[in-house]
Amino acid sequence: MNKRTLLLTLPAILLVISMLLSACGENANSGEASEIEIKFPSIWVAKDSKAATFAQIVKAFNEQNQGKIKVVVEEIPDYGAYKDKIRTNITTGTTPDIFSFDNPADGELYYKSGNLADLTPYLDEQWKSTFLDHAFDNATYDGKVYSIPFEFGVTPVLYNSKLFKQAGITGFPKTYNELFAAFDKLKAAGIAPATQMTGGDGWVSMLWYSQLLSAIGGPDVYKHGLDDPAFVQAAEVLKKLFDYTTGDAVGLDNAGGHFLNQQTAVLLNGPWFIGRIKKEGIDHLYDSVEVAPAPVYEGGKGQPGQYIGFTQASLAVGKQKDKKKEEAIVKFLKYLTSPDNVKKISLDSGSLFVIKYEVTKDDKVERLQTGMKKGMEAAPYIIPHFRASVSPAVGAEFPQALSGLVLGKYTPEQFVEQLKQAESK
Amino acid sequence: MQRTTHFRTGAILFLLPALLLFTAFFLYPVGYVVVVSLMKWDGMSSPGFVGLRNYSVLFHDEVFRISIRNNLVWACAEALIQVPLAILVALLLARKPKGWKLLRTIYFFPHVISGIAITMLWVAIYNNERGLLNGFLRLIGLSEWEHNWLGGLSSAFPSVLVYGLLYIGYFMVIILADISSVSQSYYEAASIDGATRTQQDWHITLPLIRGTIATCVTLAMVNGLRQFEQVLLLTGGGPANSSSVLVLYIYKELQNFHYGTANALGTVLIVLGGLVILTVRRLFNAAKYDM
Repeated sequence: MNKRTLLLTLPAILLVISMLLSACGENANSGEASEIEIKFPSIWVAKDSKAATFAQIVKAFNEQNQGKIKVVVEEIPDYGAYKDKIRTNITTGTTPDIFSFDNPADGELYYKSGNLADLTPYLDEQWKSTFLDHAFDNATYDGKVYSIPFEFGVTPVLYNSKLFKQAGITGFPKTYNELFAAFDKLKAAGIAPATQMTGGDGWVSMLWYSQLLSAIGGPDVYKHGLDDPAFVQAAEVLKKLFDYTTGDAVGLDNAGGHFLNQQTAVLLNGPWFIGRIKKEGIDHLYDSVEVAPAPVYEGGKGQPGQYIGFTQASLAVGKQKDKKKEEAIVKFLKYLTSPDNVKKISLDSGSLFVIKYEVTKDDKVERLQTGMKKGMEAAPYIIPHFRASVSPAVGAEFPQALSGLVLGKYTPEQFVEQLKQAESK
Repeated sequence: MQRTTHFRTGAILFLLPALLLFTAFFLYPVGYVVVVSLMKWDGMSSPGFVGLRNYSVLFHDEVFRISIRNNLVWACAEALIQVPLAILVALLLARKPKGWKLLRTIYFFPHVISGIAITMLWVAIYNNERGLLNGFLRLIGLSEWEHNWLGGLSSAFPSVLVYGLLYIGYFMVIILADISSVSQSYYEAASIDGATRTQQDWHITLPLIRGTIATCVTLAMVNGLRQFEQVLLLTGGGPANSSSVLVLYIYKELQNFHYGTANALGTVLIVLGGLVILTVRRLFNAAKYDM
């Protein structure tokens, strides 16, 4: 063989060798594997407030099931990257053994794919009874349960009472008129009133929009789709809110940074943020933070005390060929969602869950979490946020349409028109 | 006669692996993209054939128009600004001034670092409140020029585009290598005839490296069409989609479960890439130069 022929045939030889090798590898694995390995790509790692406790729980489970089951966590700290990965996996039929998702609108598409394991047979009365009522409403498709609801999110107002005092404001405003008056005072005192953002998915501003939709359109605002006049009206007020934020709000994608540095006085976010206030907030920030329900809108259909609430994380299982492995995965899910473990995560991180657990006098319950829980229990109604109530495409267009609204490219009507167009593709 | 048949079978046999790989990794995916572009599909449930609907949706779509415009601006900026800059620097370095090797390394250095890391650096430079750029403007007394660079409707896209044009090291190295292969005898003859260095560059070097320049222009323009992470990390295509580019739009459409439109966009991108290559070949009459 001369050099040239060797060069030409080399790719083919390499290809054959690699195929043989990979085939051998598979054989060796399935032959020797007595321990079942469960792959769990997870976002509850790194900076996430649940990371430490979550890692402990996985470790404890692996120790209890040594030699039989091993949960291997693949750490993906970036929410966007995680979502991309899961979607690609499901589309290509390589669904992970366990994964989580945050948006019911995505979940419905995942269920349709036929690549998720049907969890109905495992969901006995005993397991089901540990969850809140209606927890499984979004988890069911075609009469079968395809995901286990886990973390619950509410997104009330978090405000910095120290900055409020500096500006001479007592307590959190009850109506939007009062809110704008208070924001004027904060601005006069040289404090940026509230965090807004149009970068990334526009999360915090999306939550303001949701609060406004609920305050203006009332609990049924999503029933008529984007045609409800409340969507335009809420956009008008949202635009005005951008007069009361930081100079970098258009394009900003780090939710919470300004609030943690005490540069803004108000932030809409959920219980999972409590851990970050403690860990990343400037000295004594935690002591000045208070919880309040969002204001009502004068003449709106919403009621005082309304809350935005939704299943923030659901757990799903990729379809398995091996029944034993499926059982092992469910065993881990039952362990992870057991009231004891959920209580541990909840108390450590401040996050809320759809799983019931008993709190005793000795438990140190988070102050802000308690505030949110009380607000939630007192709420006249709870409705999901905007992104959970529209198609993924509309949710994705929101930050773009919003930045156009804020910069004067779109009127509030055109803003809603942009959202509608995204839906029609 | 027998020898030729032998040769043919041999040639086919030897080309077969490459052909298989080419089919598996190029022809099949491209065909797949085109086929899916004719479907309405969310990637999860079963697809439905809709003919050219996705294309007609796109041609009425503002984001699509903005993306195409931005990509074309990008491709032209690379060809008309980045490549000439690279040629200029390469010509200067080819004269081997003192420290030219160090300069060459410095120019090339950014290409060793990951594009994402460099982009993150620029995120910090452009930052509205703590960024170096606004800080610098304040320092030299131009604080009225301070701006939310990545958050302005007219400033976002130029800000994303402009910094990439500064990284000319890659093309510079290619051109420099080609210059060094030009035979010294031409220059000797030219100097005997009294030609200056600039005249030599203009009449000898540039014509002789024309093929390489054509290659660089092609690469630069295709690069302009392929932009993604620079935009994703700096602006996410915002504000109001003003800095969107095609690949970013494809990525977003995939995320939105619009697989049909995403693949239609992919097809448009392939066609655009083909057109760019053909145009450059025409302009440089490049077939002659073995590119």
